[in-house]
Parts: sequence; C-alpha cells; structure tokens
Amino acid sequence: MAQALATTVVVASLYALLGAGYVLVYRASRVLNLAQGDLLTLGGYLLFASAATFPGTPAVALPLAAVLSAITGVLVYVALMRPMAGHPVFAAVLVTVTLGILLRAAIVFVFTDRTRHPLQQLGLSNPPRPLIAGAVVSTFDLVMVGAAVVLFAGLFVFLKISPLGIRMRAAGERALLASQRGIDFHGVFALSWALAAFAGGLAGMIYSSNVRLEPSIGILGLRAFAVALVGGLDSLGGVIPAALLVAAVEVASVRYGNALLSDVSPFLCLLVMLLIRPWGMFGTKEELERV
Amino acid sequence: MRGRILIAAAGMLGLVAAPAARAQAQTPESYRIGMTVAITGPFSAGYAPTYEAYRTYFKRVNDAGGINGHPVAITYEDDRGEPQRAAAAAKKLTDGSLLLINASISPTYKPVMTEAEATKTPLLFGGGVCPREAFPPAAPLIFCTTSFGSKWDSRMALGFIKEQSAGKKVKIGFAAQDIPLSRIELEFAEQHAKELGMDTIPVVVVPGSASDFTPFAQNLKEAGADWVFSWAPWGVEIGVFEALNRIGWKGNYILYGHQPAQDELTRLKAPNLHALTGNAMFVENLPIHAEITNLVKGQTNHPAHYMAEGWTSAMVLDAGLRKCGWPCSREKLAQALAGVSVDTKGLRGGPIEMTADNHYRKVTYYKVYRWDAAKSAIVSVGGWSKLDIK
Repeated sequence: MAQALATTVVVASLYALLGAGYVLVYRASRVLNLAQGDLLTLGGYLLFASAATFPGTPAVALPLAAVLSAITGVLVYVALMRPMAGHPVFAAVLVTVTLGILLRAAIVFVFTDRTRHPLQQLGLSNPPRPLIAGAVVSTFDLVMVGAAVVLFAGLFVFLKISPLGIRMRAAGERALLASQRGIDFHGVFALSWALAAFAGGLAGMIYSSNVRLEPSIGILGLRAFAVALVGGLDSLGGVIPAALLVAAVEVASVRYGNALLSDVSPFLCLLVMLLIRPWGMFGTKEELERV
Repeated sequence: MRGRILIAAAGMLGLVAAPAARAQAQTPESYRIGMTVAITGPFSAGYAPTYEAYRTYFKRVNDAGGINGHPVAITYEDDRGEPQRAAAAAKKLTDGSLLLINASISPTYKPVMTEAEATKTPLLFGGGVCPREAFPPAAPLIFCTTSFGSKWDSRMALGFIKEQSAGKKVKIGFAAQDIPLSRIELEFAEQHAKELGMDTIPVVVVPGSASDFTPFAQNLKEAGADWVFSWAPWGVEIGVFEALNRIGWKGNYILYGHQPAQDELTRLKAPNLHALTGNAMFVENLPIHAEITNLVKGQTNHPAHYMAEGWTSAMVLDAGLRKCGWPCSREKLAQALAGVSVDTKGLRGGPIEMTADNHYRKVTYYKVYRWDAAKSAIVSVGGWSKLDIK
C-alpha cells in the first residue's frame, strides 16, 4: 500500500507539471496547447543535448536545458501564436497540433529515434531511496515530486502577489478591461507560453533522466490533457487533485485490477467527470461553454 | 506517302532506340528486389538499421561487380510500421521484383504476405519476429532470417534459468507488452516453466505507453519473483528491469537482447541483467564486426552493432541469388533459398541452413551476455547453445 501511494504521488507529479502547461496557456489566451506533450519530449532532448555539450556538469546542463525550454515557449508564441491573433481560436489550436508534429519530426531528424539516457552523460546516478513502510522510490522520483511542489508553490505566489502575475490573471479573466488598463497582452501571452514550455520541459528533463528518452514519450501529454480537463481547464489549483486522482486510478488498476486498464484510466476519469461535472473539478461552467 | 511516313517513323524510332539498346548492352540487367521497411515512424528504431545494413551490404556487392555479373537493385518503401502503407508498398514492389523483404512490425505481415502469395513472390522476413509460416512445415514462399524466434527463445531462456539455479526451486515472473506476439510468447513460457518444475507468477502485461513501470515491477517483486523473463519490444523489457531495480528488487532478470542490449548492459552495469541473443555482440571484436563497422562508418546514425540483423539477412539473400544464377525467376529463387547454407562468419553461432520444409534454420544458436563488474566488461555466460528446429 505504501509503495502504491508513493508511486501515485510520483506519477501525479509528472501529470501536474504537464497539466500546469495546459492551464497556463489556456487561462491566458484561451488556446488549447495540444503540443504540450511534445514540449515535454523537447525538454528531454534539450537536456540530452546540453549534457552532451557539457558532459559531467549537471550544474550547467540542467539549468541550460530549463532556460532553453522556456525560450522555446517564447519563440513558439512570437513565431506561431502571435500571428494567429484575431483569427478563430480553433485555428490557433490547429497550429499547436502542427507544431507538435513538426517538433516530433525535427527531434527524430536531429537525434534519431534511438532511446537516449541523459543521466549517463550528466554523470549522475539514480539510486533507490527507501521511504516509510517499505516503499522505495528512485532519486529522480523524488526530484519529480520536489519539482512539482516548487513549481506550483512558485506559480501560486507569482500569480497571487507579483504585479506581473496579477496582470497575467487580469488578462485571462477580463481581457477587455485589462487591455483598457494598458496591460501588454503579447508580453503576458509570451510569458504564459514560456512558463508552459518550462513546466513541460522540466517534466521531460526529469522523466527522461528517470525512465527513458525517446521521441514517442510525448504521448504522456495526452494523459496530462485529461488531467487538465478533469481539474478544470481554467483552474491551476484543480490540476493537483486531478493529477492525484488520475494517477491513483492508474496505479490502482495495475495493482488491484487489470493492468491494461491503466492505459485508458486517465480517459475513464475524464469520461466520468464529463458525465457528472463537464467543466471539471474546479473549472468554471462558462469556460466549458467557450471551449 | 504513307510508306514514307512509316519509314521516317521507323528511322526516328531507331535513332531513339539505338542508344538505349547500347546502354542496355553496357549495363547488365539487375536482380530486382523490393523491401518494405519501417524507416521512419514510432517503431523505426528497430528496423531502420536493417534497411541501412542492406543498403551498405549490396552497395559493396554491386561495387565488386554484382552477383553472377548482375547488380542487385533494391527498391525501398517506407511503411512506417503501418499495415495500410505496407499493403500499398507490397503491391508496388511485387511488380517486377524477384523477392520481397519485410523489415517491419508484425501488424504489417498479413497484408504483405497476402500480396506476396497472390503474386507468387518469395517473401523474406529480416529484422522482425519470424511468422510461423517460416517454421517447419514452412510455406513455400515464406523465409525468415531474424535471430529471435517465438517459442524457441522461451525454451532457451528457461533452460538457462534452470541451469543457473543449479537445482534450487525457482519462482519466475514474466513481463510482456500488450501486443499479441509478446503475450502469446510469455503465456507459452509460463506453461513451459511449470513443466520444468518452476513456480510461476502470472504474466504481467505492460502497456507500451505506460508512464511509469513501477506498479508493474511492484507486482513482480511482491509476488516474490527470483527471476523475471521478458520477451517484448525493448522499451518494456528494459523499462520493467529498471523499475525493479529502482524499488530494490534483488532477483535476476533475463530479456531478449535486441539491438540496444550491448549499450544498455554497459550503461546499467547490472550483474543481475542477462541478455539472451542470437547475434554475437560486437564486444567480441570478431573480424566480421570490424568489417561491418568500417563499412557502415558515415552511412548510418545507428551504432554498427545495430546492423547485425540486417547484415545476416543480406548474407542469406546474397547466397540465394548466387545459387539462383542468371536468369533468375521467383520460383528458382524460392527453391534456391530453401537450400541455402550461409556461413555467418561468427555473427551467429553457426551457419543458417534452410531446407525445403524449414525456412527458418535447421539449428538456431543463442548466447547469454551480462555485465561483469570485476572485468568491467560485458561477458558471455558460457558459449553458444544450440537448439534443433523441427
């Protein structure tokens, strides 16, 4: 039981990091970023590339990959999303789908389809860490949980207290009013993309260090999309319980039910949520109607 | 008037045709071969190296004058591991080809086999798991050179475990991927392990897209597995092992050593990880390994040892074409392949010998490799073991 709980928290942390990316972009710009899974993959490969460039120096490679992930988010906004301003949101969503496909192709082109292991080049190991009641997790499992806690704590503080965060919330909640007060929309949107790419990239960096790195890991983004919808697409706080719920169902289906159910469990959770509360645990009804 | 026009037309045709005929006289006709292969797509990591090996192998053959004085022209079609694409590729490739090669995932087999059967084209599988039609009693047109073979691999792995446990009762678990081939193989292994007197844990089936292998590993650990055998695509095989290690499992693990095995044994340095394989690992530094390494340099993004499957397959096709002579027809080539005996120069434990009713090989060879911490190197646990294929 303790092991199942520990695994649930680890998987939930991964989903929370990814889910945060969906919510941040949606709240700011009302765009569903369907390339979030591919931003996770990109984060992993950026770590692999930075580790290959600076082998054995994680203090350089890890922050470099994280910063590059965030810069990628800004570039995506400037090059692809900003020109979509004024067009239907549907078109912007299609742009994110195309972006995902292009990112995948570019990754295979540059890095090939071989499985990679950035940890090896970073010169780090991933030893098991015993917890209470016989549960054991890996070091990077703990890093995943820690990263999710720090990111969410940071985001809550940033959005609640900092002037930029308040402007970001204002732009998302009352766009017209915010624009009349002179808030720089493009700056806010670029920031939301940077944060989403950073969160996705961070998840990718840790996941690829812990499990594996290959072009297909972006599929995890689809599971996290279900998490974002279960929590409520416009609720950052909703991501946490939704991630825990989806991860718990996934782990329980492997441990106590049919392992094959784990593959579809995020979508079963989503289906149930759509039937009983279509706008998600903490989402708002108006937003669902907008979607 | 009409006669003059006809004469002029014939003259013009002659002018056009003469250089073409001269060119044809200068360039001998080719042995035309078609290959449907997953060069790109989610499964390409296991199959693109086969395509690269074939390309490099037959470039060398053609540079040296071809086979029986004729070059080998292979047309490649990328099926991305998608059955519909493979069907279209097979249809296109069978037109004029002496033989079709499939180097792709198993869902592409049926459409390709149907097309090959309809056009009476011999079909050679190289790189993907062999279909049962290649085993005795073999279908007349189906051949396979892949090192791993359903049911035989399980027999060898379980025999190895029994030998290693030296009379001690073993409790064994199995890690399959949620694809029919892997599940069927490990359900067979579970049954066979019972027959060998082992305690068995029901097969743990892992979705290929699992976000975390830990819960699956936990099921195996808590069931008390001393040994775990995995026969699946590489991601699941190694993913479950790493998850077991992460949660502090102390048992032994054996998996089929696909192309990445050599790199992964070196990376993980885990003495409890055993890779069963039909190909000699390149750490043995045989002359053939050096030869392949030199030839593929600059030709591929994959390490040279990924070429072993494709290279062996190309050697078998080479032998078949030589035996077929010139002119070669589909029927003659099928007959030739059914009687080949190929010296694999150490890539395998012995020759590949096919017979009229065995289009896999009369004898198949296996070796088990693991990491030796004392030597800080990959070592083989014993030499080659062989199984007669009947």
